[in-house]
Amino acid sequence: MAKLTYKMIPEGMLKGKYIPLNIAFINLNDVKACGITPKEAFEAVAKTVEGPVGMNIFDPDCVTTTSDGVMVDGTTVFMAAADRGIINKDFGYLEMIEMPYSEKLIEEEPHLLQWDANYKGKKLFRGPDPHTKLIPVHNVCISGRASNNNSATEMMNIITMEEILLPILGQQQIIENGEVVLGLTGGVISVGIGMIMPEMYGRVFPTRQFPAGETAHGSGIYAQTLKAHIPCIVADKSILAKYIIRALQAGCIPGRTVGASPAVLAVAKHMGIAPDYDNITEKAYEELASIGCTKEWMQEKVEILTPEEIMLKADEIIPGIEDASKFKAEELVQVVTVEV
Amino acid sequence: MKLMHTKLPEFLKKMKVAATESSCPKEITIRGLENLTSAKMQSLRTGRIEHAVGEMTHKEGVEKIDLVVIPRVPETMHTVIIKGMDKDGNVKNAILELVNILHPTEEAELMGCKDVDDRRPGIGRH
Repeated sequence: MAKLTYKMIPEGMLKGKYIPLNIAFINLNDVKACGITPKEAFEAVAKTVEGPVGMNIFDPDCVTTTSDGVMVDGTTVFMAAADRGIINKDFGYLEMIEMPYSEKLIEEEPHLLQWDANYKGKKLFRGPDPHTKLIPVHNVCISGRASNNNSATEMMNIITMEEILLPILGQQQIIENGEVVLGLTGGVISVGIGMIMPEMYGRVFPTRQFPAGETAHGSGIYAQTLKAHIPCIVADKSILAKYIIRALQAGCIPGRTVGASPAVLAVAKHMGIAPDYDNITEKAYEELASIGCTKEWMQEKVEILTPEEIMLKADEIIPGIEDASKFKAEELVQVVTVEV
Repeated sequence: MKLMHTKLPEFLKKMKVAATESSCPKEITIRGLENLTSAKMQSLRTGRIEHAVGEMTHKEGVEKIDLVVIPRVPETMHTVIIKGMDKDGNVKNAILELVNILHPTEEAELMGCKDVDDRRPGIGRH
């Protein structure tokens, strides 16, 4: 028998925020070391949990893109949901699909110019293969009360209807015992997650449905309310800044080759990089303006800073997340070991 | 062809009769169809469900029956019709939108029950 160690956030109150279901974060390297399949790892973890649980297996050695198209290290490559120890046989488990490197793909998805510049040779994963999953639209696993949605970045208890957002960089920090922020998603992130890049087999959309500069929300002033009250665990803003800086240094332009999210726009402003104003749609401008990111805000003169200075001042520069507190990741998780 | 689909009120009545007029009669509650006012239920399955209800009335230790209808695929796609009505009750303007709904799967209803006889065909089969 081997022993699999993973990280768990139990259902209930966590430092003043409500966690709607149990959440397990598993490192793919630990699964491999046990000589078991990802599905076997999920089954072993599920058996230890009485209630609903969302489970993610994270591969720290590959790369992915955030919703706004920033390329980052590591992503969840297998996801599952279980309730009372059972993984639904039709809908409880999903695998992300590798997007093989090709010049054609980079041509079709220009934000992937970051791949060449910063992550050459790394494997890229985003969402699952839409042709093999049984659930029609969302990239979601459901077992009983537990739902693990948007390729493992949003989990819910469908009975209580409470939810938590788990953006990929927050998961990366949990796996790496790094720095995280626990708070409420708020209006800025609610708007920001709509400023997506068109991607085939993306984490949320299976096709390139929305062009760069467009909003996936299309909700006007209501976009800021969509996820506002939902708790989230995100990476420290200095870490987010680091990856945005890398994307911009690689040549990405906000609104054209990287999403025009408030975080990207704010960092770009301090690097002296203007967004592609003409490519951002009126609908996107309306949503951005509703949380203070007006065209005037984008054009205002600010101090140009070095990457190190931006990372140091990231909390002041990058807007978003409310009622938030910073933690070492290990302060939020329990380390659990199970025999497999 | 008239047997291919069953009227919703007839479906509800059939289930009640199967439970309450069994040789081992039991009370039955039916949930999950409250929102439907006009629907045709697959007849072949209606007969099987009727039969299953009758079977359940005879199970040892069963005091009453709770019949729940949930989506087989736990994500359903719905058209939302936003209608602007005039003073005479006619539809003057309309906007069609879409919403996908996520539902719990059967484990949420089964409460950890171990004695489950899954008679459903695989996804995509009748």
